Amino acid sequence: MNIKKFISKPLKVLAPFVAASVMATNPVMADETCMSPYMVKIVGQEDFVYVWTLGVEGLGDGQDKMVTVDVNPKSEHYGKVIHSESVGGRNEAHHSGFTDDRKYLWAGGLDSNKIFIFDVHTDPAKATLVKTIDDFVSKSGGVVGPHTTYALPGRMIITGLSNNQDHGGRTALVEYTNSGEYIDTYWMPTDDNLQGAHKGGQFADGYGYDVRALPSKNVMLTSSFTGWSNYMMDFGAMLGDAEAMKRFGNTMVIWDLHTRKPKQILDVPGAPLEVRCAWKPENQYCFSTTALTSQIVLLHDNDNDGMWQADNVSDIANPADIPLPVDISIQSDDALLWVNTFLDGMTRAYDITDPHAPKEVYSKKIGNQVNMVSSSWDGKRLYYTTSLLGNWDKKAQDNDQFIKLYHWDGKEMTEQFVIDFHEEKLGRAHQMRFGAYSLYGKQAKVEQAKNPIVAMSK
Amino acid sequence: MKYSSLKVSLLVSFFFYSNYGFSEEIAAQGADKARDFYNEEHFIIEEPDTEGNPSVSGRPQVKFLDGMRVGPGDDKTGYETTGYVTNSVAITARKGVQADLIRVIENPPLGLPKIPVPDSNPLTAEKINLGRKLFFDRRLSLNNTFSCAMCHVPEQGFSSNELEKAVGLEGRSNRRNSPTIYNVAYIERLFYDGRESTLENQIWGPLLEHNEMAMTSFGHVLQKLSTLEDYEGLFEAAFDGRGADILTLGKAFASYQRVLVSGNSPFDRWYFAKEENAINEQAKRGFALFSGKAQCITCHTVQEKTALFTDNQFHNTGLGFKRSMGIKPEKERMLIAPGTYAYVKQAKVKLVGEGPLADVGRYEVTLDPDDRWKYRTSSLRNIALTAPYMHDGSMHSLQEVIAFYNQGGMLKNENGFPNVTQSPLINPLGLSEDEIEDIVAFLMTLTGDNIAEIVSDAFSAPVGDT
Repeated sequence: MNIKKFISKPLKVLAPFVAASVMATNPVMADETCMSPYMVKIVGQEDFVYVWTLGVEGLGDGQDKMVTVDVNPKSEHYGKVIHSESVGGRNEAHHSGFTDDRKYLWAGGLDSNKIFIFDVHTDPAKATLVKTIDDFVSKSGGVVGPHTTYALPGRMIITGLSNNQDHGGRTALVEYTNSGEYIDTYWMPTDDNLQGAHKGGQFADGYGYDVRALPSKNVMLTSSFTGWSNYMMDFGAMLGDAEAMKRFGNTMVIWDLHTRKPKQILDVPGAPLEVRCAWKPENQYCFSTTALTSQIVLLHDNDNDGMWQADNVSDIANPADIPLPVDISIQSDDALLWVNTFLDGMTRAYDITDPHAPKEVYSKKIGNQVNMVSSSWDGKRLYYTTSLLGNWDKKAQDNDQFIKLYHWDGKEMTEQFVIDFHEEKLGRAHQMRFGAYSLYGKQAKVEQAKNPIVAMSK
Repeated sequence: MKYSSLKVSLLVSFFFYSNYGFSEEIAAQGADKARDFYNEEHFIIEEPDTEGNPSVSGRPQVKFLDGMRVGPGDDKTGYETTGYVTNSVAITARKGVQADLIRVIENPPLGLPKIPVPDSNPLTAEKINLGRKLFFDRRLSLNNTFSCAMCHVPEQGFSSNELEKAVGLEGRSNRRNSPTIYNVAYIERLFYDGRESTLENQIWGPLLEHNEMAMTSFGHVLQKLSTLEDYEGLFEAAFDGRGADILTLGKAFASYQRVLVSGNSPFDRWYFAKEENAINEQAKRGFALFSGKAQCITCHTVQEKTALFTDNQFHNTGLGFKRSMGIKPEKERMLIAPGTYAYVKQAKVKLVGEGPLADVGRYEVTLDPDDRWKYRTSSLRNIALTAPYMHDGSMHSLQEVIAFYNQGGMLKNENGFPNVTQSPLINPLGLSEDEIEDIVAFLMTLTGDNIAEIVSDAFSAPVGDT
């Protein structure tokens, strides 16, 4: 049966209504501000952070794992690892994302191309592996490097980073049902096949990285990074490889959210990575940052004519130093954008009340290196992790691997706890997602306190 | 209008970089510091030349041979300037037709000798077809991500135009550039250091190397193969009922690679078939230099009726010595976006890199100090398709390669340490810029006439994935 034809049409028609109803019934939008707008929500304090962690050869069991950290300050195990679920192999664990019902967490392996699906609702204190998709490449027709796993109504849309022909950057979006059935592959537009998209500048490189949806504008936005050969290779070796350095993305693509067709290709030189969209209904714009040229990029449709623009609106630190902007997080009131820079280990807050002119208002060194930042919905709690890619992380004593929680009072950050992932023999701490009992109508179990602190599984 | 203004705004932003810290910070920080900042720390923007063309020549470029697009599907020609425009091709465009490759055994292309085939492994179409399937099968690696073709990419000259040095399983570093498979049948000692003797044996190196396909043992490979249903009966059909084992697997791989033979180039038609107009006057001047003043022919040999353009011997040209013993500058210029460069300190690179891997060349096989930094002479056939060049992929254009030889290799490093094993054949040549261009023009005539057929044949094979 052609699943796409069978299911997708009514869902596509319903999509805006589903989104509207989710928003209407959940006045508090989301616990973390980078989630899909279709996501069911956490109200209040998150109980857990799930850390998708890269295994390190020779450390602990050497394999990738989903680590559950207790982050509820009322818990006896606050700031402790309470569960670790090993998945087998080093897959280049990278990003993860919930299904729209928030019952399952999909976590991709950029190297092995496996997608690990964890049950986070049966027992939110134990993210438990229940299914592994191991035929992503053949099913998708050659897409390599499942990156962002992003919730659409009843669906997961997955960005690829590479392909099975040359391990370069040309790639696609891949759509699955929530139950893990492949639906379709949407190739990024290339010069020989723009698929009707408008190539407004010089570039149509076909690269991919992140995806976000703005349902009210009926658009998806994708960004572009680099292919397998680059994201897997030794970072120092890559910097010395002049051919490899040409193979970074220089585009963002605007897609029709409903039809999944590319509409417009924007020139955004320097590898635009994360995409975050503003939350207020009147703020119909998104941000990205370029990894190599260190720019905050505003994506907007100011004239409301369906033609988007990409404007470099601010430097990040000193671009000449190549600080390597990585993860970003937008505050839920659209007032601040947190930007992490990997090489100097800094986090910076930019005032984006005027999105056309962000201003740096705060900075703090988090560690020798820093990658991800996850913010609570109220903006008061900021979690940080360290790993960028297995072979890009700093070496030796500079290779910090931790999760840290800071409280942010609007003026200053105060460290609450840190878990050293080397000492815990876990690996490289990468992406974080929040969990909570309240999502599933559950209360924290009293007897939980009696359980062993770390339950190793598998 | 909106798009042109976007382009302008991006360019303005680039120009802002070019003034970064210049107007304000010179005054604030003093001339010396500002100059240091300006010269070494900030971005440089390179504009296209006055005709709007990239200012760099000799880079790999997409070619259409008999209607087949050959070259990287992600073409980066001209990326060095802000004039770069993409020329990308869809992944779904990979379609091809299986060819009758075995015919080259009876009729080797003009310019090439009879293909050596061992008695123990006579060529058959079944073996070639099986070898092709294996060559493109990513499941033959530890985590199903690597086939031979991930580094020996058909449309990239069966090498990799996209990397100086190959990257293996889990991103592990390799020391050398992926060599082309074209005409590998004629190589007497395989790999750049000549450590392997036959194509039948050769495949086990990459299959088992930790930094290539990383299978853990012979038995592991064979056991995994036995679980793949689409191979059922294929070995038995190709090897008189014999299944996959250490020998038949090597023979199947060898059979496919052995027929990837490409000759009858414009040079062959001019030099051997005496077609006067097969190459132009510049290329003829280039060949005269190649075989005369530039002395290339001493190692890149040409015989009376055929030309392999290699003596199959090992030489220290100075490049390996330079990589091992040379002193790197404190800062290196790096391309970070089209036409946009930055200077990055080595100290910063060291923070995120394991550092270069040692490579002493042929010495690693013989342990003879006289063999330090010697590498096998590569054939020059199809060289237009196989950039970047040299054993470490460090040279991106043929002009750069010839300029290196023109200066006489590297007889001592920056501190005066001598390269005692440099070949006496390597000497300053005194070639002018025009003469270098003439030699490049000649090298461009060495592309075989069946490239499109071989690439299309390769594309007919499914990519093996889980």
